[in-house]
Amino acid sequence: MSAVLHRIRSAPRTRPRLGVVDVLALGVLALVALAIVAPGVLAPADPLEAVPGGTLQPPGSAGLFGTDYLGRDVLSRIVHGTGRTVLASSIAVAIGLGAGSALGLIAAYFGGWADAVVSRVVDVLLSIPGLLLSMVVVVALGFGSTNAAIAVGVASIAAFARLMRSEVLRVRELGFVESARHLGVRPWAVLLRHVLPNSAAPVLSMTALQFGNAILWIAALSFLGYGAPPPLPEWGLLVSEGRGYLSSSPWLTLLPGLVIVATVVAISRVSALIAETRRTRP
Amino acid sequence: MRLRPAAVLRRLGQSALVVALTYVLVYAVLFLLPGDPIRSRIDNPQNPIPEEQAEAIINYYRLDLPPLEQFWLSVTRLLQGDLGYSLTNGRRVSDLVAQGFGETATLAGVALLVSAALALLIALGAVFAPWARLRGLFRTLPAVALATPGFLIGLVLLQVFAYQLGWFSSIRDEGARSLILPALTLGIGASAPIAQVLIEGLESAWREPFATVLRAGGFPRRSIIGRHVLKNGAIPAVTLLGLTVGELLAGSVIAETIFSRTGLGFVTEQAVRAQDGPTVLAVVMVVSVVFTLVNLATDLVYPLIDPRIGGPRSARIRPHREEIAA
Repeated sequence: MSAVLHRIRSAPRTRPRLGVVDVLALGVLALVALAIVAPGVLAPADPLEAVPGGTLQPPGSAGLFGTDYLGRDVLSRIVHGTGRTVLASSIAVAIGLGAGSALGLIAAYFGGWADAVVSRVVDVLLSIPGLLLSMVVVVALGFGSTNAAIAVGVASIAAFARLMRSEVLRVRELGFVESARHLGVRPWAVLLRHVLPNSAAPVLSMTALQFGNAILWIAALSFLGYGAPPPLPEWGLLVSEGRGYLSSSPWLTLLPGLVIVATVVAISRVSALIAETRRTRP
Repeated sequence: MRLRPAAVLRRLGQSALVVALTYVLVYAVLFLLPGDPIRSRIDNPQNPIPEEQAEAIINYYRLDLPPLEQFWLSVTRLLQGDLGYSLTNGRRVSDLVAQGFGETATLAGVALLVSAALALLIALGAVFAPWARLRGLFRTLPAVALATPGFLIGLVLLQVFAYQLGWFSSIRDEGARSLILPALTLGIGASAPIAQVLIEGLESAWREPFATVLRAGGFPRRSIIGRHVLKNGAIPAVTLLGLTVGELLAGSVIAETIFSRTGLGFVTEQAVRAQDGPTVLAVVMVVSVVFTLVNLATDLVYPLIDPRIGGPRSARIRPHREEIAA
């Protein structure tokens, strides 16, 4: 018996091989993390300091990413805006994950009319496109970066609720959960100790994916002017600010935009990695 | 397989219920949460509404009534076709929406065609292109498009085709020509999830035994792909195409802002900026009704196209909505 256990424990875990793209993705996320923790290391210039003589300098001449219409350093505005953008996305994902998982759990666990009610609510939330739903919440709460984050969070509740519900329903029917129930483990203990941990991987993968989506939606809301107020740097707002100078100084729009794309691509790659890890696990 | 009338009725009832509940939910979020948008709009210190107008608005919405009675009032008015009045300019909301809807419906229709064509092109390239490297390139395109904010696509198109190449005017209305860039903006974004689902569908259809038999029978590759693999592999993607309509209508807010158009998206953008609750409610209901109708139509027409759908296995053929959440 102990020999068998030993063999199981020492069996090598097959890890997905990391390709060039995966390494690049992790590198991008490391840069994002660095920009949040120590923005000064990546961009020493003050993001709010205007240099009257040095406005609209193209990239390379003054600073790596050039300067904007007030002479502020674009790179340092992007770097200092990272924290705000990521914080807003975290709030959004926390709301979506928290409320969505709770709804999904309740629906799957209690079944019956609870399931019917939750499923109808999810249907309704899914029949309103996410961007529009978050605008509705923004109208109700008012503008600002926190309100935009809450709005995006509310718009992502339905996706989490549905995933959680189907995962709990799937895991609940597995053999070991049934055995636990037959052994007399209390329902809540079954749910918390057996069902939840085993549905964690898909939910985690979804969380990463929704984090990328939250960045895009929050950027869209700030681009439309419903999010963080200027002059504080935020990624979507930076693109929006550059819009007026699109024909003469396109880098003001393109560079913050490309930073958003690179970050979201990296996040979705990591989300796929999480999903693969789960599939290849013995 | 023919549709049973009972099943059709059930499906119709479900759709009606979703639309009705959407109204309740959006109304509750807009008007029942603390912080009444109508009251705060009237008391807005920056742009106060003249007292007479404010009086008229308060009398119309009966803000003195308890919340539930206000809700019933709005429902009875809705059933009479009265959507209320805009809080910004006092115009009838139904006029505002009707005026913008045509333009946005055309835009969304063209964008839908663009996204279908693009998705088909990318999926064919990703599955059947001659070199593995080229196939890999096609395969990464949807992932990158999914990670690109819609406004960035629009601004890049504007910069390249309007400012650099001068093919389009960024301000003047050039009729159908002005439709091209915004439709591309919306279409590129919407094509990504469709392409991903189509790639999956084509691959699995290509692995089916019938494809092997056809290849062994010596049929030309082109006709196998065009006549058989596409027909069998495209079904989930077509369903997703129906679900995309809602995203296109919502995305028009951004496309119309960038390209200075005056459709429903513009109306929405203005309404949200002014926290104009009645107009926002109406826009959401229009989008929700269109979305529900399109999906109802897809569901009801499917069994006529593909006899396998409509039976107990049909649930498996519908793709998940999360896939188009972006």
